[in-house]
Amino acid sequence: MSRQQILDTLRAGLAAAPLVVPAPPARPASLPMGADAWARLAEVLAPLDVRLRLAATPAEAAQHVADIARERAATSYTRWDDMPPGLDMDDALAGLSRVSDLGGGCCHALAHVDLGLTFAHAALIDSGSLVLVAGRGRPRAASLLPPTHVCLVPRSALAPDVSALPGLLRGHADTAGLPPSCLNLVTGPSSTADIELVLVRGVHGPGALDVVGLDWDI
Amino acid sequence: MVLTDTFTPRNFRGQSHLAARDARLRAILDHATRYFMTKRGVALEAFADREDHFGRARVARLAALSRLPELLERLERNATAAGTRVHWARDAAQAREIVAGIARDCGAKVVVKGKSMVSEEIALNPALEATGAEVWETDLGEFIVQLAQEPPSHIIAPCIHMSRADVAALFREKLGLADLADAASIPELTLLARRALREKFLAADLGVTGVNMAVAETGSVVLVENEGNIRMSTTCPPVHVAIMSLEKVAATLEDAADLLRVLPRSATGQRMSSYVSVLTGPRRTEEPNVELDGPRETHLVILDNGRAEVLADPVLREALLCFRCGACLNSCPVYQTVGGHAYGSVYSGPIGTLLSSLLLPTEDTRDLPFGCTLCGACKKTCPLGIDHPKLMLRLRERVCAGSPGLAGVAHAFLALHPLAYRLAVGAARAVDPGLNLLPRLPGLPVGLASFVDSRQPPRLKTPFSAQLRRSRKKGGA
Repeated sequence: MSRQQILDTLRAGLAAAPLVVPAPPARPASLPMGADAWARLAEVLAPLDVRLRLAATPAEAAQHVADIARERAATSYTRWDDMPPGLDMDDALAGLSRVSDLGGGCCHALAHVDLGLTFAHAALIDSGSLVLVAGRGRPRAASLLPPTHVCLVPRSALAPDVSALPGLLRGHADTAGLPPSCLNLVTGPSSTADIELVLVRGVHGPGALDVVGLDWDI
Repeated sequence: MVLTDTFTPRNFRGQSHLAARDARLRAILDHATRYFMTKRGVALEAFADREDHFGRARVARLAALSRLPELLERLERNATAAGTRVHWARDAAQAREIVAGIARDCGAKVVVKGKSMVSEEIALNPALEATGAEVWETDLGEFIVQLAQEPPSHIIAPCIHMSRADVAALFREKLGLADLADAASIPELTLLARRALREKFLAADLGVTGVNMAVAETGSVVLVENEGNIRMSTTCPPVHVAIMSLEKVAATLEDAADLLRVLPRSATGQRMSSYVSVLTGPRRTEEPNVELDGPRETHLVILDNGRAEVLADPVLREALLCFRCGACLNSCPVYQTVGGHAYGSVYSGPIGTLLSSLLLPTEDTRDLPFGCTLCGACKKTCPLGIDHPKLMLRLRERVCAGSPGLAGVAHAFLALHPLAYRLAVGAARAVDPGLNLLPRLPGLPVGLASFVDSRQPPRLKTPFSAQLRRSRKKGGA
C-alpha cells in the first residue's frame, strides 16, 4: 500500500519533470602501484597513529606480532582461523592465552580479550584503509571488541584506492553471486572528537591499530 | 520530526535572537565551525583531481534521483534476496510503527542506536521506549545529548554546544558517578562512556542505525562512522534495523565508491572515516559458510516522509542530492552565529533550512528561508554542487505565493514610486519618530508589524537648542 503510493508519487514526479543526467567526468586514474607502495601506505597511516611494520619473512612477521603484544601489554588474544599461509601466529603469541571458543555468544566471549589478530583482504594506499571481509572463521568482532587490533597485510593485498571496493565485493561473492554479509574498511583506530572537538582514540572500537606488512609473495 | 512547543522552527526568529546574544555559544560555534573548515580545507588541498571526484559524486546522486522508483524496487529485490526484510513507510508514524513492531516481535529489552538523523526526524526513541525497551544512543555526542535530554546541535558533532565540565556534571548525575570531578579529562570522560555503553551493546537485543547509502545493485547498506558504535550495533545484537530516507540509494557499487571518495573528506577532512561497513543481509548460517557473529535478522525501512513529492519540483528536488556531510553548516554565517538549536528542527544550517521547509508543514517553517543572507558560501562549499541560495529564493516565493495582502500591495506601490515612498516615510516619522508606536497599532497586519519591529530608523538629529543646553550644563558642572 505505502510502497505503491511512494513509487507512484515518485513516478508521477519524474514524469512531470524529467531529470536529465549529464555525463560524469572521467574517473581520475588511480595512482600507479610502484615499488614505493609500502612507503606510501606507511606515510598515510602515520597521522592516524598507526605504525606499519614490514616483515620480509614469516619469522620476522611473527617477531613483529610478538613485539606488538608485549608493547600493548596483552595477555590474551583471539585470531581469525584463516591466516595467510606459512604463518604460525599461535607460536608467536605462545605466552598469551588464546580465546578460540566463540560458539554461542561471540561478542561476549571477545569482550574481555586484549588483542584481536586479523588479516586484510586489501589495503587501500590512498586512504590507509584495511579491507576486512567477514566470513566463516573470520568474525567481525575480532577487529572490533579487543582494545588492540593487529592486522596483517600481504603484499598482494595492496591496492590504490576505494575504487577497488566493487571488485572486492564481487570477488568475495558466494556461488549464488551474493556479496559477503559484512565488509569493513578500517582506517585507523576508533576515534571521536565529540567533546570539545578534542581527538580521542579508542571509543567503542580498538584504541590501537598495528599493521604488519608481509613483504613476500603469498 | 520531534517538535515540541519550544523546539520548533516556528520560533526560529525568537530562538535566533536569543542564540545570537549568547556570547558563550558564539565562542563555541566560532571554534567549532573554524575547526571543521580548517580540517576540511587541508584535506581538500591534498585531494588530487578534486573537481572531477566532486563531479562524479554529483552525477552519481543525480543518476540515483533520475531513476529513483526503479532503483528502490531493485534495492528491495536484491536486499530481499540477501535475506533482509524490506519495509516501506509513507510517513514518520508508519516508520515508528514498523520499527516498534520489530522491537516487540523480537522481545527487545535493550535497543542500541547508531547516530542517525532520520531516526531523529521520525522521533523514534519515544516510540521504542513505549514498547518497554530501554533505548541507548551510542554515538558519544548523541549519548551525551540524550542524557541531557536535548536535541543534537550539529549533524556531525551533536554536542558541540557543551563543554567538558558540562559533560562531567551530566555523567555525575545520570551515570551515578558521584566522585567525577568537573576537571575530568576528555579521554577519561570518553572511557566512562565506553564502559557504560559496552555493557549495553553486549546486552542489546536490537540495533538500529541509519544508512549513508544503500546499493541497489547488491541490496547492501553502507554505514560510515568513526567511533565503532555502528559496527557494534550491527555486530552484537541479534537483530539489525537500518532506516533510510528513500533518496539515499546508489545505483551501483561504483557509484557508492565514488561517493565514499568525497563524503569523509568533506565531512571531517578524513581520507576515509575510521569505519565503513558494507552490509548485505544477515549473517550466513548455512554450510559451508557459517558465521559466528552479526545479526541473524536484518530489516531495511525505506522512508518517504514528504520526499517523494519533492521530486516533482525541478528546482527544489536538488535538496535530495545531499549526503549529509555537514560542510554547508560550518560555512554558513547564519549557522556560525545562531548554531543548530535555533532552527528548531533536526536539520539545521543551509541544507537543514531546505529539508525542514520541504518536509514540515509550511506554516511551521515560513521564517526559515528568510534566515539566509544569500551569500552563497554553502553553494561554494557543497561537494555535490547544490545551489542552496537558488532553492532558498524558490522557497521564499512559495511562502509568499498567493494574493498579496493590502500591506503588500501598498508596499509594492511605494517601492515603485520613490516620491510617494518618501512622503509616506516622512509622514510616519513625523507622527512616530522612533517607530515605537507603529508596531503596536491595533489591526496592523502581522507581517508589517514584524517588518517595522525589526527595523530602526536613523535617529533624528538632536535639535541645536537641546545640544546647546546640554553643553552649557556640562560646562557649568
